Amino acid sequence: MPPDLYAAVVHDVKNQLAELSLRLSERGDAQQEMVIAINAARRLSEMLLMHRQANDLLSVNADTVSPADFMAILAAEFRELFPKTTIEIDTGKAPVFAFFDDALVRMALANALHNACRAAHSKVHLAAYERDKMLVLEVSDDGPGYPGNLLKTGGVEPSPVSRRGTGLGLHLAGKIAGLHQLENRRGHIELSNASGAVFRMMLP
Amino acid sequence: MSFNIGIAKKWVLVIDDMESMRTQLRLSLSSSGFAKLHLVGSIKEALERVAANKYDVIVCDYLLGDGTDGQQFLKHLRTNDLITRNTIFVMITAEQAFEKVMAASECAPDDYLLKPFTAAQFNARLEKLLEKQEYFSLIDKASDAKNLVKVIAECDKRLPAKDKYYVDLCKIKAAVLMHDGRPQEAAELYREVIALRPVAWAKLGLARALSVLDKKDEAQVLVREILVDTPQFMAAYDFLSKMLVSSGEKHAALDVLQKAREITPGAMSRIRELSNLAVSAGRPELAEEVMRQGLQIHKYSPVREANDYAVLSKALVDQGKAVEALSVVADAQKSFNDEHSSALLSATESVAHRAAGNHEKAEIAIAKAMAVGDLSKLPTHTVISLADACFVMGKEEEAAGFLRHAIQNNHENASIISKVHDVLTAAGKDATEASAIIEASTQEVILLNNEGVRKAEAGQLEEAIELLCKAANRLPNNLQIVGNAALVIALDLERNGNDPAKLAKCLRYRTALIKKSPDHPKLVQIDGLLKQLTR
Repeated sequence: MPPDLYAAVVHDVKNQLAELSLRLSERGDAQQEMVIAINAARRLSEMLLMHRQANDLLSVNADTVSPADFMAILAAEFRELFPKTTIEIDTGKAPVFAFFDDALVRMALANALHNACRAAHSKVHLAAYERDKMLVLEVSDDGPGYPGNLLKTGGVEPSPVSRRGTGLGLHLAGKIAGLHQLENRRGHIELSNASGAVFRMMLP
Repeated sequence: MSFNIGIAKKWVLVIDDMESMRTQLRLSLSSSGFAKLHLVGSIKEALERVAANKYDVIVCDYLLGDGTDGQQFLKHLRTNDLITRNTIFVMITAEQAFEKVMAASECAPDDYLLKPFTAAQFNARLEKLLEKQEYFSLIDKASDAKNLVKVIAECDKRLPAKDKYYVDLCKIKAAVLMHDGRPQEAAELYREVIALRPVAWAKLGLARALSVLDKKDEAQVLVREILVDTPQFMAAYDFLSKMLVSSGEKHAALDVLQKAREITPGAMSRIRELSNLAVSAGRPELAEEVMRQGLQIHKYSPVREANDYAVLSKALVDQGKAVEALSVVADAQKSFNDEHSSALLSATESVAHRAAGNHEKAEIAIAKAMAVGDLSKLPTHTVISLADACFVMGKEEEAAGFLRHAIQNNHENASIISKVHDVLTAAGKDATEASAIIEASTQEVILLNNEGVRKAEAGQLEEAIELLCKAANRLPNNLQIVGNAALVIALDLERNGNDPAKLAKCLRYRTALIKKSPDHPKLVQIDGLLKQLTR
């Protein structure tokens, strides 16, 4: 099957999932099913982005964004999807405005936050701050942490399907970060374990 | 969840052809406290609503199922001033690719929602947008009132805080400085933003300012950089191609527009630009390909115009495909039968018949085209097409009359003057002769204008008014004349006291001027005089 046809089919299935999640959201008793449908649609969006990236069609349009607003919107969304998880935000040390591609970085962070909410015992922490002239967007949880093999590759290669998702999301997040460049600095992601998994996206 | 008490007073319009989406949006909007909601399923209904109501928030799906997309709808609203600066426009899209293109367009929505989204996500984003709406309300109000001085003053009040809207403020202020004829200051402000981060819109802004400051080479280098770094930034293609056309590099401009077309194949304004340019650059086969594709994409959409078919027909005739041209015209005549379109299509038809060797039919068609009434009400491109057809049919004198009108009605519009030049050269005039004809018509209108101004200065206000109003009615696109007509009436009112009929006439010209050129320098003079009246 030609790649464009793959993309068209993926796109169509994604839209059907979007429609499904919409119908589920109208019912009061299908919150968890809606989360599944939304998540599945997101995975397909990531695949479409990967397809664009592989064909060199993915480009970054950085513009002004307030990191505090950015994190607040992200948290609001996931508080609805994971009502039992406490999501804290710390943007006190973030610059009042920064420059990045809001839509692309949102997609990458949403994936990291989704993984964190699934793995978390009860708490997820979102933070934005500056370090070494880079903006750091951080998602950490109080779950079991990243498995060793993932820490070794740092999410650079798509990892095999696991309980934390397909691994495609991390791979894509790395690509999205890398597309953000300024002078000789280039964005990247960093995975580590502290009291749980810690995902960091560094943007120039 | 509800954000604040003001929410209940905000008017919201939702446009989505999917009923399930309308239901979800209704639920999440009313749960956040919005009470004044209108939900419609088509652009047609939306336009009716917008005409009757002032909305604070518009939420629109990108794909609306009737050929015209949400982006074209937004462009229509903004270019026709159907919504205020302060109206929040949120676009819902199913695909990120659209979002990227829109984000980089001149007429970007305030936010996008990628499907699927949750109610909480929608509400959280709307909350931030309303906060921004509040912050910018005075600035937007001044922009809507075209009060440039006030916009700049309000921006200057807020800039020193360097808050989260700092860059947005710089963007607004720089654009206003450009409008106000202060390119040097605009360039400095764009440079300040670029020092923070070389974002595409700031680079394009700087390029525009440099081009006005006659640093065209520097401007071109900047725009080419944008196209490499941010290839989906469509405004950069349009600006670059205009620069190239103005320096006579039509083929290079065609290449630039072709690249843009690969990214957004459906953008009709660029398809028109591209096909007209291709015809004028002697590439009719390209014009045909581009316009045929454009018309295919917009087959069932109201964005098509009779002139699109006229251009296609011309491209076909230029390639010797007269029979195909005739079928294109016949096709168009089925869809467009208003007086203006009929005149244009008859002119087009006569050229095609003539090329096909049907001399009698060509004569009938051109006679029908020339029977059109008041030229001042015709779009200029139609007048030029009439001239072109007359030349082809050997009616030199009539052709010259049409062109004289087109020139005098638009003597400061470089792109129209260049079209007139093309028609004259196509009719066999050499470049010097063509320029001389244009110059003669231009001089005539300048003399007429100066005569009116001289009479006014000599105190012969009645004569000045009569002369300038007559000219303004004949040449409604000529803003020098329309502006001076309004100005002499205002002068008369100020000197001789108010007269409701005269005032109405003055305001009519003033409105026409604002509509075509909101920042026209004459407006300040006219308004200055009118203000004296109310004292």
